[in-house]
Amino acid sequence: MVRVEQLTHVYPARRKQPPRLALDRLDLTVAEGTFFVLTGPNGGGKSTLFRILCGLMRPSAGRVLIRGLDLLRESAAARSAMGVVFQKPALDVHLSVEENFKIHADLYGVAPSDYRRRLDEGLSWTGLADRLNHRVGSLSGGLARQVELVKALLHNPSLLIMDEPSTGLDPGTRRGFVDMVRRIQRERGMTVLMTSHIFSEAEEADAVAILKEGRLLARESPARLRASLGRELLVIQTTGAAPLAAELAVRPGLKVQTREGEVRVEGPDMTALVQEIFLNRPEGIRAISLKEPSLEDVYIHLTGRSLEQEESEGTRLSGGGAP
Amino acid sequence: MSPSMIPPVRALAMRELVRFFRQPHRVVGSFAQPLLFWIFLGSGFSPAFRMAGAGMERVSYLEYFYPGILLMTMLFAGIFSTITIIEDRNAGLLQEVLVSPASRLSVVLGKTLGAMAIALLQSLVLLAAAPFIGLTPGPGSLLMILGGFVLASLGFTALGFLIAWPMESTAGFHAVMSVFLMPLWMLSGALFPLEGAPGWLWGLMTVNPVSHALQLIRLPFYHSPAELLTHSGYLTGLAVSTAWAVGCLALALWRVGQVERGADPASAVGTP
Repeated sequence: MVRVEQLTHVYPARRKQPPRLALDRLDLTVAEGTFFVLTGPNGGGKSTLFRILCGLMRPSAGRVLIRGLDLLRESAAARSAMGVVFQKPALDVHLSVEENFKIHADLYGVAPSDYRRRLDEGLSWTGLADRLNHRVGSLSGGLARQVELVKALLHNPSLLIMDEPSTGLDPGTRRGFVDMVRRIQRERGMTVLMTSHIFSEAEEADAVAILKEGRLLARESPARLRASLGRELLVIQTTGAAPLAAELAVRPGLKVQTREGEVRVEGPDMTALVQEIFLNRPEGIRAISLKEPSLEDVYIHLTGRSLEQEESEGTRLSGGGAP
Repeated sequence: MSPSMIPPVRALAMRELVRFFRQPHRVVGSFAQPLLFWIFLGSGFSPAFRMAGAGMERVSYLEYFYPGILLMTMLFAGIFSTITIIEDRNAGLLQEVLVSPASRLSVVLGKTLGAMAIALLQSLVLLAAAPFIGLTPGPGSLLMILGGFVLASLGFTALGFLIAWPMESTAGFHAVMSVFLMPLWMLSGALFPLEGAPGWLWGLMTVNPVSHALQLIRLPFYHSPAELLTHSGYLTGLAVSTAWAVGCLALALWRVGQVERGADPASAVGTP
C-alpha cells in the first residue's frame, strides 16, 4: 500500500541553524488494510514523513510509492487515492459543515451522485447529521475533528493519513475519535497511517513504527512490541533507588534500569520478588507496581530513556520539532 | 484550462463570495469606505483643484477623483481576499487545497476570480453614483469600463497573491500594503494628475502599471468606444494592464507550484 524507500530529508540551513537531517535512509512498508501508527519523540521524523507523504515537501532523496504510484512523479493520481487529516483543522471556520464538505468534493472531483451517498455514509458514523448548516467555527473540538474525518473520506480514499489527529482533544473525546477511525477502517478495509505521540492510541494499531532521529527504531505489532519485553515489568518507586538497583542487578535473569526515584525490573517470577522486597526493605519504598508493559515501557526499554526526557531535550537542542 | 478544473475553480471562487457576505462589517466597510473617501476628499479638495489640459478645465475634483475611487475598490477587494492565504496556511483551508489533486492553476484562478467578483459587485454599486456628477457613459463605454475593472482586479489580486504566499503573518502583509500597494494607487493619477507633477514623481507615475489601469477606467467616461480604439493613451493602458495582470498571474502560478525541497543529503554530514 505505502512503500517508503531510502527516504532521506535534510532541512536546508537557515540563519544560525546548520542543515538538519530529519529522515535518514528510511525504509518502511505499510500493508494494505492495516491501521498503522507512527510514533516516537518530537523531532524524530514523524512530521517530516507526514509532510512528504501528503506532498507538501519534496524529500532530499529516496521515493514513496502509494499503491504502486510514485508520489513524486504521479502526484495527482496518488493524491486522489489519499485522504489527509492535519493536526490543525484544515477547514474554513466561516463556512458551514456542508459547505466545507462541498468544497472538498469539488477539489477532489467527486461526482454529485457519489457525493450524496458518501455524505450519508459519513454522517452515519458521526453525530453531525443535524449540524450540516452549523458554521464550523461554532463546533466543539471533537465535532470539528469528525467533520475533518468525514470530509477526508468523501472521495473514498484507499489510504487515510493523519498527523496527530487527536491533538487538543480531551482524553475521552480522543478515545472516541480513535475508536471511530478504527471502526471505519475495518468496515472499509482501508489503510490508515497515523502519527501519534500518545501510546494508548498506538496500542489499538495493527502495527507500530517508532521513529527516532530519522531512523526506524522498531516496527512491530503492539502485542509483539510488548512481548519483546518478554515478561512482566516491576516498577518500584523508592528514595533509595541506587542501592536497590545495585543489589538486584547482580541477580541472574533480571534486567534492571533506574530512573529518578524509580527502579524498573524485568525478569521471570516477579511475584516472588515483590514478596521478597516487601519482607526485607519496606523503608524508602513509596510504591510497587507490577504491570504488563505499555508501549511507553517498550520505548524506555529500547532507548533507555523516557519520552518526556526526549521531548524536553529535543526542544532545547533543536528549538522545536520539525515544522 | 480543462473541464476538470471547473469544479475546483468554482468552489474556491464561491468560497470568497460566501465569506464576504458572511461578514457584515466587511460588506458595509467595503461599500462605505470608498464612498466616504470619495465624498470627503472629493468635496474638500474641489475648491482648490483646477485641472489643466484642453477640455478638462471644468472637471471638479469630485469628478476627477471618481475613477480613482473605483480603482481603490479593486485594490482593497484584492487585498482582503489574498490576506486569507496567510491565515489559511497553518490552520485552515489552504492545507486542504494544497494536498488535493486540484491543479495549481485552479488554486490561483479560484482566488483571483472570487476576488474579482467581489470587486465587480462593489464597483457596480459605486457606478450608480456616476450620473450624479454628470458622467453618463453609453452602453459601449460601460462595457469598456467593466473590462478595465476586470484587468485591474486581476492585476491587484494576483499581485496580492504573490506577496501573501510566502508570508507568515498578516502583520507583514499590512506593512507591504502601506508601503507598496497603497503608494501604487496614490501614484496612479487617482489622487492627482500626472501632468504638472515634479519630474521624479512623473517618472514614477509613468512606469506604475496602476496608472495605466486607471486610464482604462477613466477614459471611457469621456470618450466613445470608437475614439478609444484609436486613443494612444487607452491602447497603451490596455497593453500595460494586460501585461501586468498576465505577468502577475503567471508568477503566482509559478509560486504555488514551488514546493519546499530537502537539501542535498551530503550537506547534513556530521549533524545528528
